[in-house]
This record gives sequence, structure tokens and C-alpha cells, in this order.
Amino acid sequence: MPSMWWVVGATVLVALVAAYLIWTAGRVERLQARAQLAARALDAHLLRRAAAAAVLAERRYGVELYAAARIALDARPEEREAAENDLTRQLRTVELDPTDPDCEAVIAASRRLALARQVHTDLVRDARTARGRPLVRLLRMGRRHTWPRYFDIDDPTLSVPTVDATTR
Amino acid sequence: MRIGIVCPYSFDVPGGVQNHVMDLAEALIGLGHEVSVLAPADEDSPLPPYVVPAGRSVPLPYNGSVARIAFGPVSTARVRRWITRGDFDVLHVHEPLALSLSMLAVLSARGPVVATFHTAMTRSRVLAAAQGVLQIVLERITARIAVSALARKVQVEHLDGGAVEIPNGVAVAKFAGVEPLPGWPGEVGTGSGGTLGFLGRFTEPRKGFPILRDAFVELARQRPGLRLLVAGPGDPDDLFDRFPADLRDRVTFLGLVPEQEKARMLRSVHLYVAPNTGGESFGMILTEALAAGTTVVASDLDAFRRVLDGGRAGRLFPTGDAVALRQTIAELLDDPDQRAELTACGNQVVANFDWPVVARRVLEVYAAAIEATDGRVIDQEWVGPD
Repeated sequence: MPSMWWVVGATVLVALVAAYLIWTAGRVERLQARAQLAARALDAHLLRRAAAAAVLAERRYGVELYAAARIALDARPEEREAAENDLTRQLRTVELDPTDPDCEAVIAASRRLALARQVHTDLVRDARTARGRPLVRLLRMGRRHTWPRYFDIDDPTLSVPTVDATTR
Repeated sequence: MRIGIVCPYSFDVPGGVQNHVMDLAEALIGLGHEVSVLAPADEDSPLPPYVVPAGRSVPLPYNGSVARIAFGPVSTARVRRWITRGDFDVLHVHEPLALSLSMLAVLSARGPVVATFHTAMTRSRVLAAAQGVLQIVLERITARIAVSALARKVQVEHLDGGAVEIPNGVAVAKFAGVEPLPGWPGEVGTGSGGTLGFLGRFTEPRKGFPILRDAFVELARQRPGLRLLVAGPGDPDDLFDRFPADLRDRVTFLGLVPEQEKARMLRSVHLYVAPNTGGESFGMILTEALAAGTTVVASDLDAFRRVLDGGRAGRLFPTGDAVALRQTIAELLDDPDQRAELTACGNQVVANFDWPVVARRVLEVYAAAIEATDGRVIDQEWVGPD
């Protein structure tokens, strides 16, 4: 009964293709969701650094740093990358003293921001790779989400003399 | 925080990754966290209380060495059970791209996953060929750590991703102030005496033992009382056959030394020599020698140069050059002031590699991974600044 084998074969094939598609759709969905969560965490760390810088500027370093922090806090999405880079540059021009709690807060916030940026970049890359696959594009999987965007800023790590100067 | 760590290689055999995992776990416990380590090991082998054995391991050649790892359906079931029971806030796997428990754990994990890459795999063809499969593993990892600049470079160039560079730690307290072995390191003076140390598998070509042997044989003939202390796995006859008969009594072989004895061995020599010719991605043994306060002579590999701060914390010699090594050894043994200077600088350098310092940086990566998984920011309290 060759025709029955055809039916069985076709059914198995359809089942395999369906399983693969469902798995791929789930994978795309998961990666997109993760990139969005990473973006939220990155956003929180940017705000936290700017806030810490503003506090420090009020106490010690005056107008320019304060202005940079304010601009970073208030920037519209399309200006934000530039504003954050300006803040990083401003922070690099001031002498930070790691024993002062306000300075330490800025240094720690910058360090955490550097990690959040790294993680966000990696996760966005994964999500974009998954979205860019031909099959995924063809079937328009993940179209409910916007394309994951990189947040392109310079490494915000501040170099502090005592901590791990030798490992850099 | 509840932390699950997966070690791909068996604790039954000593090794760099295994020690890293154990020291990290102990440092994290010391900082007040709950840690469970899953590793391949027999049920009846003696293990620290925080280690969960995942069954027997099989030897497999990997990246030029032999690694004992576990992989298969039984291991998969155990990994899943451990993850379910552990209810971890973060899962930290080591070397996830080796076919091992680590890879199984990554594929079974649901929450945030941090991965540490130890080896600087340069055989990129393998990576390129398996890219599609590896991508499935890699995309489940939330944050990546590389223990060296070289390991990070591999990440960036071949695996298309970034990684945070956090160096290997060293438990400075375990190495400093330990008593040397009785009768060691002995006398050293201008033109005579002195003890050299070598730790590692002397049969493995990349450890560069023949270079040290050549330098030692040549120098021992000119320098009465020069001794060589060798520790590591291997057959004593095989070792002594490599030396001329008249010099064999000046070579001492300790065999495989347990982790606790390593500090004593390192303190029992005037110079620790690392003649490696490659394959080292970090140079753990150098930080350990520095922590023990021993002067280090090492080949001029990238990884070694970085640990030794470009040569300030220990002397470098051109890789593979036995003559240059012999001259460096002779010069340092004759010059106690220079040794003291290198040791003092070594102490400063090694403070950055102390485990509590390193573990805090790892905790920050955990925080970043958790935040990127659920979108909320963790308060700074529990990963406070150093």
C-alpha cells in the first residue's frame, strides 16, 4: 500500500515543519522580549547615572556638569545618545575622588551602566539576527514588535586610579 | 541571592576552571550569598558541601588538553532537576561552548544566565562551522564574562558578541604567609645556590618544560647548589630521564600537589618559572606565585605580560628562548634587591586579583543579567561598592 506511506510521510513532514516554525516563532518572540527588557534596564541605569551626576554637580563641580546631567535627563529619544555621550565626556573632565560618597555613587552608577550597555548591545544583536533570518522575514514573525534598536553610546566606564588600573 | 554555578569539568581532576569555580563559590559565600555548584563527580568522591555531583565524567580531548566532562541523557536529567530544585536568581555557567553540563544547563535554563569564557580558543574554523548550533546556546546567555583580554577577543571576533573582562581571582590570604616546605628554598648567593620552581604537566608541550630543562641543565653546571623543584602530574621516571645522570640529585619531584600544598610549594622556591609557549589565556599560576610573594620569571606571552604589568611585577623573557631564560635566572638569583623590588610590585598588582574584589565585580554582572531579564533595576544595597 504505497499510498498510505505517502500519507504517513507527508504527515510527518508537515508535523516537523510546523514544529520548527512554532519553535522559531517562540525563539524570535523570546529574543525580542528580552531585548526590550534590557532596554528598560539600560534606560533606568542612564537615569540613575544622570541623577547621581546632577547631585554631585550641585555640590562640587558646578554648572557645566549640572547642565550635561540635566540635558541627559530631559533629552528626547533621538537626542539621547549624543546627550549621554556629552555627560560621559563631562564626567571624564572632572577629578573624581573615590573616597567621597557622591563621587563613588557616580563611579558605581557608571560601572553598572557600562554593564547594562554591554548586555543590551548583545541582546539587541541576538534579536536582530533572529529577526533578519529569511524565513522569519518571509513569514513576518515578530512583526508586533518594532525592530530592536541599538543604543549607540561610548563606553561610560570612568577610570579611577586605585581600582583595577592594571587590568585595563 | 541564590546563585547556581555549573562547572563543566570534573572536580576529581585539578584544573584551572575547577579552581576558579571553587574559589568564586567560596568568595560569594563569604559575601553572604547562597551558592550551589553543579559539577561532574562520582557520588562518593570527597567534595565541598556546596558542590552537587552530577555523575561520572568521561575523558574527552578538548582544545589541546584532555578534559573530563559529563554529557548525555542522565546528565541532562540531573541538570534539570538541579535547576528546578535550586530556584536560582541567576545561573552562572563556565565554558558553555564545550559539550558539557554547562551547555546542558544553558539549554535548560529559563531565567538569567551568565557565562564565563576561560579558553582563548583560536581554532575558529570549528566555531565557524558550528555557528548555527552555537547561536542557539549563545542567545540563551544574558551576559558574558571573559577572564582575559584574549578570551574576550575570541568573543568579539568569532562569536560576534561582547563580553565583560573580569580577570581570574586569586585567594591572596591562602597564599601569603604560608610556611615553605622544610629545608626549602635553601641558600642563595652570588654565583651559587638558588631554587627554581615549575608547576604543571611537564609532558604537555605548551607548558614549555623543555625550555626550563635546557636552561637549568646549562646553568646547574656553572652554578653549584642550584636546585629545581617540580610539581604536577606525571611519572617520576619520565621526568628524571630528561636530565643527565649527574644532575638528577638536584631535581626534586613532588608529584601532583593538592591545592593547599601549592602555596607551600610556591614559597619554597626563589624563582617561579613559567616557560609556557602558548595556549595560556590568563596565567593563573602567575597570580598565585605573586600572592605567595615569589619572584616570577615568565615567557613573554600576551596573557603573562598583562598579569605581570608589562614586566614590573615579574621578569619576562622571549618565549621559547632557553638562553635568555638562563641569563635572566642567573641575573635574578645574583640580585636580591631586584627580587625584592619585583616582589613588592607583585604584591600591589595581586591585590586587584584578590577573590573578594573579583567576586564583587562578578556580582555586578549578575545584577546586570537579572535586570536585563525582568527589566527592573536592583537596588545597589546588596552589590554595594567595594
